[in-house]
Amino acid sequence: MQKQQKFSEQNKMTDLINENHSLLLVISRFGLSLGFGNKTVLEVCDTNKVDCTTFLAVVNFLSEGNFEIDYTYEDISILSLIDYLKKAHRYFLDFKFPIIRDKLIEAINQENQSIPYEIMFNRFFDEYVSEVRKHMEYEDKVVFRYVLKVLKGEQNLHYRISVFQSRHNEINSKLIELKNILVKYYPTKGNNHLLTEVLFEILSCDLDLATHNQVEDYLFIPTVKLLEQKNRMTK
Amino acid sequence: MNNDQLKVAIVEPSVIIRSGISVVLKRTPGYRIQSIEIVSLESISRYISIQKPDLLIINPTFWGYFDVSKIKDKIETSKIKCIALVYSTVDVNLLRSYDETLSIYDTVDQLKEKLDKLFMINLNDSSEEQNTLSAREKEIIIGVGKGLTNKEIAQSLFLSTHTVISHRKNIARKLEIHTPAGLTIYAIVNKLIELDDVKK
Repeated sequence: MQKQQKFSEQNKMTDLINENHSLLLVISRFGLSLGFGNKTVLEVCDTNKVDCTTFLAVVNFLSEGNFEIDYTYEDISILSLIDYLKKAHRYFLDFKFPIIRDKLIEAINQENQSIPYEIMFNRFFDEYVSEVRKHMEYEDKVVFRYVLKVLKGEQNLHYRISVFQSRHNEINSKLIELKNILVKYYPTKGNNHLLTEVLFEILSCDLDLATHNQVEDYLFIPTVKLLEQKNRMTK
Repeated sequence: MNNDQLKVAIVEPSVIIRSGISVVLKRTPGYRIQSIEIVSLESISRYISIQKPDLLIINPTFWGYFDVSKIKDKIETSKIKCIALVYSTVDVNLLRSYDETLSIYDTVDQLKEKLDKLFMINLNDSSEEQNTLSAREKEIIIGVGKGLTNKEIAQSLFLSTHTVISHRKNIARKLEIHTPAGLTIYAIVNKLIELDDVKK
């Protein structure tokens, strides 16, 4: 049974962005470059050698908001999904966090010259980033490598995806803490566009991280579980 | 405001009713809700084993007859709450194993009341009293800001470590700041300590 979903292979790539601009992040993380012209989703995926089913699974998962749980994990390409998740990790660590850090420091410095708040905020933010880095490196080095072995049909691996599932705690709570400090307790004078700007960045990054985790929880983990089951059956 | 997110699974065959409930849940004040729509029986057990939702809203006539006690047995924690979603008159025996029933004609207020009851949100706590720091709590924040351990704070204030820990829990709840680094920023921004105190 083919379920009716928001977007299909025949949609134009630009339709996706017009409908929901946060899908831009998904598009870039799948390694699809802009300049689509009037090409369809399938055409763009084929040109870039991206698995279209997996791409659409993520896109539809994220654009439907209240996602339905369904039994369609078989079609997803785990390799593509891992590649997507890895690229997302690089995006946060190498691109997004440095930007937020710079903006944060800029905002803090112009607000209050008398006290060098910079040191504290730096320390706070760097602690946060190193926490996230540890979390993501664990996924890159332990979880994804394990899954690749499962894909090859290797047996007797001393790991289960359920281990990851149980320790997949929320990594974005500290970002919310930073938001709380700035919104509730930071003394500002008058209008500070820079501070508002960095708050927007923090909140959108937090949302982005949360959906990233949802993709892992609702698409990645169930797909791997299914694979584990299959492997056990052929044993 | 309850800051913990509630994971709610909605098990109901009609997409219109399913999505409707999702939307109403999002409109319910005081809750942050992440709803998941479930459309088949096998998805329920699958989802529950993976995600451990806090609340299930189930149409009891879903797929003929739905045995909610089986689901409850499956989840060892049994903390999960189940609400029966009722369109029309249903045999009371069918509803016995549910914690609550929800009619499709309920208002947002009624839904909120039911959620409050299920999750024991105590509305009588005055939020003012809840969110102001006591003098003792401020002293403890100063200690945290200076980089002292719980034990060191306990010694300097002549308290037990246990008391310090329980104070710190209350501080975290009141300020919504949980980490030492965050509390340090709070302490400096609010002039409880000087920056020089931190660097030592």
